[in-house]
Amino acid sequence: MLLLSMSFAHLSANAQIKYELSGVIVDENSQPLAGASVFLYPVEKGTFTDGQGRYSINGLNNGSYTIVVSFIGYRTLTDSIEIKGNSSFNFRLSFASINLQEVVVTDNYARIRQREEPLNIEIVNDDYLKQNLGGSLMKSLERLPGVGTIDIGSGHSKPVIRGLGFNRVVVVENNIKHEAQQWGSDHGLEIDQYAIDNIEVIKGPASLMYGSDAIGGVIDMKNRKIPADNSLGGTIDMAGKTNNDYLGTSVSVFGRKNWLFADFRATLLDYGDYKVPTDSIDIYSYRAPLHENHMRNTAGQEQDIHLSIGIIKPGFQSRLYISNISSKNGFFANAHGLEPRSVDTELHDRSGRDINYPYHQVNHFKVINTSQWKREKLKIESDLGFQRNFRQEWSQYVSHGYMPGVFPDSLDFDSDLERQFEKYVYSGNIKASYFQNEETLFSAGISSDYQNNSIDGRSFIIPAFKQFTIGVYAFVKHSFSVKSILQLGIRYDFGHLNTLSYYDWYPSPVIINNDTTFQFLIRADALNRSFSSISWSAGYNYNLPEFSFRANIGKSFRMPIAKELAANGVNYHHFSYEVGSPDLSPEISYQADAGIEYNSDKLAIGLTPFLNYFSNYIYLNPTAEHDRLYGNGNQVYYYTQSRVFRYGGEIHAHYQLLKSLQLGVMGEYVYSEQLSGDKKGFTLPFSPPASAIFNVKYQKQKVKRAENLYISIDYRLSAAQNNIVPPEETTEGYQVINIGFGGEIKVKNQKAIFSFQIQNLLNNKYFNHTSYYRLINVPEQGRNLVLSITLPFSGKTKQL
Amino acid sequence: MKSYKFVFIPFLLLIISISCEKGETDKQKPEIDLSNAGAFPINCDTLYFGETFIFKVMFTDNAELGSYSIDIHHNFDHHSHSTEVTECSLDPKKSPVNPFVFIQDYSIPGGSKEYETNLSVVIPASNAIGPFDEGDYHFFISLTDKEGWSAQKGLSIKMRYR
Repeated sequence: MLLLSMSFAHLSANAQIKYELSGVIVDENSQPLAGASVFLYPVEKGTFTDGQGRYSINGLNNGSYTIVVSFIGYRTLTDSIEIKGNSSFNFRLSFASINLQEVVVTDNYARIRQREEPLNIEIVNDDYLKQNLGGSLMKSLERLPGVGTIDIGSGHSKPVIRGLGFNRVVVVENNIKHEAQQWGSDHGLEIDQYAIDNIEVIKGPASLMYGSDAIGGVIDMKNRKIPADNSLGGTIDMAGKTNNDYLGTSVSVFGRKNWLFADFRATLLDYGDYKVPTDSIDIYSYRAPLHENHMRNTAGQEQDIHLSIGIIKPGFQSRLYISNISSKNGFFANAHGLEPRSVDTELHDRSGRDINYPYHQVNHFKVINTSQWKREKLKIESDLGFQRNFRQEWSQYVSHGYMPGVFPDSLDFDSDLERQFEKYVYSGNIKASYFQNEETLFSAGISSDYQNNSIDGRSFIIPAFKQFTIGVYAFVKHSFSVKSILQLGIRYDFGHLNTLSYYDWYPSPVIINNDTTFQFLIRADALNRSFSSISWSAGYNYNLPEFSFRANIGKSFRMPIAKELAANGVNYHHFSYEVGSPDLSPEISYQADAGIEYNSDKLAIGLTPFLNYFSNYIYLNPTAEHDRLYGNGNQVYYYTQSRVFRYGGEIHAHYQLLKSLQLGVMGEYVYSEQLSGDKKGFTLPFSPPASAIFNVKYQKQKVKRAENLYISIDYRLSAAQNNIVPPEETTEGYQVINIGFGGEIKVKNQKAIFSFQIQNLLNNKYFNHTSYYRLINVPEQGRNLVLSITLPFSGKTKQL
Repeated sequence: MKSYKFVFIPFLLLIISISCEKGETDKQKPEIDLSNAGAFPINCDTLYFGETFIFKVMFTDNAELGSYSIDIHHNFDHHSHSTEVTECSLDPKKSPVNPFVFIQDYSIPGGSKEYETNLSVVIPASNAIGPFDEGDYHFFISLTDKEGWSAQKGLSIKMRYR
């Protein structure tokens, strides 16, 4: 940086030449902070630090400026600086554990990203996750307005953004799209929530940058932290929860020597059956009594390891991530199969921690390399990924359809292996960004992936398939002034899907002209489909000191998945028979998004409305038909397409009543209506009801040895959901109170960061409309005390 | 402080707008009624191999009925219990050798809001393997309406040779 400053020095004779401000931003341990925001007033120029914590701002006149440096998880620093020629200033940020509760408005990084991004985004970091620790990553994020979950049990949830989920939300970890069996509703994301330090949630379609599937939104997780030179450190995280006797621990160690750095993490989780405030569950018309409020057989365990090795050199950075996530979870034993089941209560109720049939286990292995080269005006980024997702569902052999009553021993799979999926995914992205000048940035890129999915087990739902996709995009961002930014982008995608045929392993009776013959039925024909689509997006941001406006319109698309095209089997949680439609066309969505934010010292208000139209939304339509040949005469659901109109939005507001007392409210609402097809006039499945969180938060900087203390009360109010579609039930409104309290304690040199939560303080019995178990009348978890403790430790650190 | 209040106004409007939802779609499930005199089978009844029985139940819906299905499968492992209040005595658990399986779907005349079945079902005396296993079976009835709403009933029955 100094060299750079000097090289400009000889030009300073010319009065027209403006100057450069540069420097390095580090944290308390002198680790450079990549991605910290640096903002200069009154000129309103800003930038982010690079991988080595360096920043530079050009085109400045001599004079006094106010500089604001911020990074999520750190206290924002404000300072006055004097610019005389090319200048260099370095800053050190100190950790903050509480400024993230309302990241949307208090955090400058988020604020600047939002000021430059025409789509609506939410940004949170690991501190936020610990303070809001839920049973899974998505549960911890559920508090964000517009973000929800579809849950099954206490440890699995899938992301839902503004009412859209499953394959309509892309999950990205370290630039590579997370690929598993996303279509399945009975298992969660194979993501270790302890291993994440930064999450961006894009609310709204983002096919332009993320391709097919990003039609509802994106959960983008990046590991941004890079250890400081010659450092060695780590953290120990521990968490406990009373509702399901959860114990979790995660240990990480990181270090760096010159240009080489590495970190390692191991996570272990173990939990028992979760408890609900009821003593029996009405599964359709069957009543299953519960033992001591335990949701029978919903215990689980998870073991994760992560290793990352990186090199960081001037103009070049590369990082290799290897991770393995392994989990095993039981399913609620009374409601898995072809019909509600009686179970051996002696076996199942013996222990709340054991996992009996039915259960599933998943192993997700990932290797990712991300690299970037940076020259003066050019940045090239490349990502390569390999993933293997291996998932098995196990349950006691029950013949259904015309499966033999006694399992033959001549088959090459276990009689109790219900289903097995093995998916290999190879992904690659290349992106080039050209900074033409201060005002204009051009970006272009290619992303591609290849998936190979094989199946096994006694029961069929989706066929084996191979899928190839490639997308090419170009994007331009132009600032007309510091206030006004325009972004335009266009993308072309091509995809090819080849599903394999599948025949039953047992014969079924086929009656032709009163003659009954036994045949091995074909469940899925081989299928070859190609899809292509052009997506585009146009966005505009206009920023004033206190107000900011943004608007975006765009077209996104989604390729139909193998399940939608070729499913033919029983859904063991719904007791339904699901059938794909081989001629579905890709989903096309048009969406208009807007955002208005007002920020002053005491008050912040934001409103983010959207309008959305699908010309052919794909969904599973329950029909009047019954199946005769597979399950036990189950109702048939066909994948079909309809025109859908949706609108809604989020609102959030915070008011600083006193220096230490903040009031806040966040609300969300989505309305969906099908405009055509069999379910014309109905909503979409799993439509979230309107809801709001009212929050009071009291903070205190220091009490004796404790620092950064906070106590926060959330009052969640959810409206009834009477707008339903078969086979849903209407869900009553509810109120839940959650309390959070935490801070940091320092004993000698050891710091401990703790957060304590009481979820569902009053042990209310309520139903969540977007829970998968809602359909079988399972209430949400009862009162739950959650304690999370983080112990950071560090070895030698070198001061700058 | 003034501006703080106006935050709630759009939010309240949202709450109001959802409370006046539209009521034009059918949101009512069909019903299976086994309480009529002559309904057959009901919980704990016995069906006989090699004989024909008349399936007689009452189906109703507020708009239009769809179709129904009948499934009979063994309950030798006691995996099923009925949806009915009455409890039936079960035989001891056993392993299946040649259990009887019956799955069939049936249509209901279009436009029916009420439909009483009068269906004769033939139960064979044996299959290619030989005679069927006697004992506890589960008789499962599923009913849909035209919109795709559904209702189920599960009965515990015995199947025997006379």
